[in-house]
Amino acid sequence: MTIDHEGAPGAGHPPILELRGVEKMYANGVFAVRGVDLAINRGEIHSVIGENGAGKSTLMKLAYGLEQLTAGSVIVDGTVRSIGSPLDAIKLGIGMVHQNLELVPSLTVAENIVLGAEPGSPLWVNRRDAADATRELADRVQLPVNPNRQVSEASVGTRQRAAILKALGRGARVLILDEPTAVLTPQESDELFAAVRRLRDEGLTVIFISHKLDEVREISDRITVMRQGRLIATHHTADTTEAGLAAEMVGRAVSLDVERGNPILTPDVLRVEDLVTSHSPDHALEFTVAGGEIVGIAGIEDNGQGELMATLAGLLPARRGIVTLNDHDITRSTVKQRRDRGVAVVSEDRLRDGAALSLGIDLNIVVDRYDRAPYSSWGILRPSVIRHAAAELMARFRVKAPDATVPMSALSGGNMQKVIIARELSSGPLLLLASQPTRGVDIGAMQFIYEQIVAARDSGAAVLLASADLTELLTLSDRLLVMRNGHIVARFDSLDGITEQIVGEHMLGVAAHVDTRGGVS
Amino acid sequence: MTTVEMEDRAAFRTQRRNSALIDIAGVLLTILIALVAAFVIVAMLGKNPVDAFTALITGPLERPNRIGNWLEQTTTLTILGLSVMIPFRTGQISIGAEGQLYLGALAGAVVAILLPLPLAVAPIVATVVAMVAGGVAGAIPGVMKARLGANEIVATLMLNVIIVQIFDYLVQNLLRSETSTAAVSDQIRSEYAWLRLQELTGIPLSRANVGLLVALVLAGLVWLLMSRTSLGFRMRIVGGNPEFAKYAGLPVARTIEWSFILGGAVAGLAGAHLVFGVFSRLEPAMASGLAFLGIVIALLGRNNPVGIVLAAAFYAYLRVGGDVMEQQTDVGSELIIIIQAMIVLLVTAQALPMIVRRLRAKRKAD
Amino acid sequence: MELLGVLTSATFLAAILRVATPYLFAALGGVVAERVGVPNIALEGQMLSAAATGALVAGFTQNVWLGALCGIAVAAVLGVLLTAIVVELNADPIIVGIGVNLLASGGTAFAVFTLLNDKGGTTGLDSGTLPRVTIPGLDFVPVLGPLIGTQNILTLGAFVALALVWWLMYRARFGFHLRAVGEAPSAASMVGISSRRVKYLGMALSGALAGCGGVFLSMGAVSFFLRDMTAGRGYIALAAVFLGGVRPVGAFVAALFFGAAEAAAIQLGAFDIPTQFITAMPYAVTLIALCVFSTRVRQVQKDWRLKRRARLV
Repeated sequence: MTIDHEGAPGAGHPPILELRGVEKMYANGVFAVRGVDLAINRGEIHSVIGENGAGKSTLMKLAYGLEQLTAGSVIVDGTVRSIGSPLDAIKLGIGMVHQNLELVPSLTVAENIVLGAEPGSPLWVNRRDAADATRELADRVQLPVNPNRQVSEASVGTRQRAAILKALGRGARVLILDEPTAVLTPQESDELFAAVRRLRDEGLTVIFISHKLDEVREISDRITVMRQGRLIATHHTADTTEAGLAAEMVGRAVSLDVERGNPILTPDVLRVEDLVTSHSPDHALEFTVAGGEIVGIAGIEDNGQGELMATLAGLLPARRGIVTLNDHDITRSTVKQRRDRGVAVVSEDRLRDGAALSLGIDLNIVVDRYDRAPYSSWGILRPSVIRHAAAELMARFRVKAPDATVPMSALSGGNMQKVIIARELSSGPLLLLASQPTRGVDIGAMQFIYEQIVAARDSGAAVLLASADLTELLTLSDRLLVMRNGHIVARFDSLDGITEQIVGEHMLGVAAHVDTRGGVS
Repeated sequence: MTTVEMEDRAAFRTQRRNSALIDIAGVLLTILIALVAAFVIVAMLGKNPVDAFTALITGPLERPNRIGNWLEQTTTLTILGLSVMIPFRTGQISIGAEGQLYLGALAGAVVAILLPLPLAVAPIVATVVAMVAGGVAGAIPGVMKARLGANEIVATLMLNVIIVQIFDYLVQNLLRSETSTAAVSDQIRSEYAWLRLQELTGIPLSRANVGLLVALVLAGLVWLLMSRTSLGFRMRIVGGNPEFAKYAGLPVARTIEWSFILGGAVAGLAGAHLVFGVFSRLEPAMASGLAFLGIVIALLGRNNPVGIVLAAAFYAYLRVGGDVMEQQTDVGSELIIIIQAMIVLLVTAQALPMIVRRLRAKRKAD
Repeated sequence: MELLGVLTSATFLAAILRVATPYLFAALGGVVAERVGVPNIALEGQMLSAAATGALVAGFTQNVWLGALCGIAVAAVLGVLLTAIVVELNADPIIVGIGVNLLASGGTAFAVFTLLNDKGGTTGLDSGTLPRVTIPGLDFVPVLGPLIGTQNILTLGAFVALALVWWLMYRARFGFHLRAVGEAPSAASMVGISSRRVKYLGMALSGALAGCGGVFLSMGAVSFFLRDMTAGRGYIALAAVFLGGVRPVGAFVAALFFGAAEAAAIQLGAFDIPTQFITAMPYAVTLIALCVFSTRVRQVQKDWRLKRRARLV
């Protein structure tokens, strides 16, 4: 196993890895990555940052052969290479450690590291040699692991070190780490960074994919910002500020405008007190939403918003606290009871639980009302009524499909979301819980969905909107909450003069706190 | 599946019709291939395939008794196919039809042997008892799956054996007939027997009985259940995506349980048919292998009541034809099982529809 | 207490091993298949095919070893067929397994009828049995002696198979690849292991093991094949795989348990305990175990976050 000993970053050597004009387009015309030119210098630590969906993961998967380019080229050590699979990438010295670590649970750390190239004979894998080699490698790069620990019982930190060692053991000269600190404690993150620095000093080139600004600025030599599939800029870390990077990450060129009315507010339609969700046992949430307003929840994914919305919808039990809807205590209510009381939910992952894909639009669209008149009576369904109602809703909400019986799987993302919106909003809800309502949706459908959400607000509904899209939040919200690490770190009761940059800073933990409760983040 | 943005109804309807036709064509082609393969096997063994297949294909229709056998077997297989279809549509893999059938047969027979009732109500009471027993047998794995997340395949397999053992024990001991030398039960009381079709029509139709009409009505009822009731709606949604059902507030666990219970009740009805319509008493291994065939028929019939009736009729025809073939030629009726197996393998592979689709896609791309 | 005497007698304990042999092999085969990621519902059909082929070939060639070899080979081929349909044609392994079982049931009966004109089996054919083996010197060992002193070679072979399967899975290169393909296919393909190749080989082995069990049925304790003589043993083996935690030793012990129950049922026919009760007991135990086991699994799944984290390996 060799590690290159080349000069300082960017010191006049050709880049070890270069992407030119790289593009990834999917069959439905959506670009994950577009026109990216990026040169990674030998022996540097280079971070690629961006929001969820910015394309940073996809870009690296292209370099690693997990995805195939639709245009452009990948150049390794000055030669254009075709990387059809991870095997090709590994042969060229590119290694990647994924978020899900790709380890075999029932094998030990050492066995995972030597998988595919096990020492010994076909009849007898020399596990002791494997353990020794692992120990030697681990010592050399100072990534301590217990070689004989079964992966399924190892700590996350150990697993990650094992995955890194696996890549190094195969002669990686460029190591791509995809969101490595997502699953680590702060202490483990520090250990990881120390190890990465040591590796860099030995001549390894490291690419970090992340959305955590503070960490990235701590560890990197250079930083590349991506947004909406494009490369926005590449900086030397020394030249950057967190605020500046945040602005580049979250800004958007196109902004959609929606007209809003001036409804009279009904106070405290939703009241949340001392709510503890399964995300963070240490933090309690408290806020209210009035009828006629849209309260946005900003935050990087997995900072507790998902669990909050699911708990409010009744899909997850609350560990503590009270949720009331118009003064009715619904903390222990079932999903059905909440829906009957007027709660509507747009879930964040429509493919997972937003639809039954093999069934038709009509069945999907009445799933919240099938047991009521006129759709059924005495337990007997009226399919013609259902189909008629579905067709009407499809027309009203501009769902483009020839027939109400078309299966949901045949619809585009935007149309599918419109079906969901049609169902949830047509029931005239008291409270709308919307998560990522325009994820994977084309611009035209986006505009329409925004209009529908605002229309619901104008007619008196209380709307709680969680989104990773700041522009969307600022366009739609009357008030804004920012969540980080499971609790609310900022509240903005008025959005005058609030820019995406400011909110972004709170999301990323950069700015000082505004109106927090519950401790320091 | 191609993204559908067009609003052209006609084009969509055509596409959907074509898709369905391709599916049906695929199934028919599969059957043809299986038959041809069997033909070749027979030829290679030096026997006369033409004679054998003539007997197979025309045999069942030559005599009314054979037609009666065909109808009787169609009845049992239809009911079994329907019993499996209900949990299948709810996304559950239930292999418990065998146990549910035997428990239903047992319960129904006990009533029919021991309890004198007036002719008007006797068959109905006994049938209901059989269906309830079948439902109970279905409830056990149903509750285990719905409330505990237990693997329903293992649960139903285990329960099958347990029930069959209970059945066996009772038939060979407590319920054993004193008059017969074989290990069978007493005859059921005459008021419980299902009317034989030959009494109705005057044509000798072997053991075919009104169960056939019951089966057809049942197919209609099951169709109504799935497409016209709230429960059926819930089952389809859970079968489509249980997470979605949960999100929508549907009672997922209860729906799963009911799918097992109803499926079990229908299998119990199959048991009733065997006891009251066919054998008129309990016999050991009276339904051996049929329950598995029920799964095959549900698969072939695409989990659709009409398809199941057709598939059951087809399979029953093969079985009767196979017996004729064996009587009249030197080719064993086991060939039928081989044909059935080939059909299963080819259909589950969805090979033919897939090949047809690939060819069409290729032609479009060129 | 005559009962207890019978149950602890050496002859009974020896009978357990004899009766359990088919289950032992089939359960090992089931473990291999499950671990490589292709559930083998066709154990039943593989056993049956091996039993029929073995008896027929041995009868016609008067060579028991050739018969056994052919039987095992046929079962292995069925394993490959199953894999081909599942892997290449994207079919559901459970339905394909059922189809293979059907094929075996019909195919074996058809073959026997065609070749021997016998509807019931090969009783008319003199196919012989595989030899019994006496391990010298073991007679003097108190318990073990009579227990394993003289058993059919295949019964002893089952223990050898356990050792071999264990070794293969946990010490041989192929076993590492096999587990990788079954547990983390993308990790395997990333290091150049061919999922396809490993699955085919693994399933051939699984079939071969089931085949050994089948060969014992028709050429071990008795010397003929009867139509559908496996009588559901393949499915019992599946339950043993599950009961044993999908591990070679665990499944082996569970299979012994099922074998013991069957042997007891045979012996206890003389007493007042109904054989059906004995036969049903292991299944009832499995059913209860399923309840207990599943409850534990569900608790873990309840925590959404844990589920997300669990996705990271």
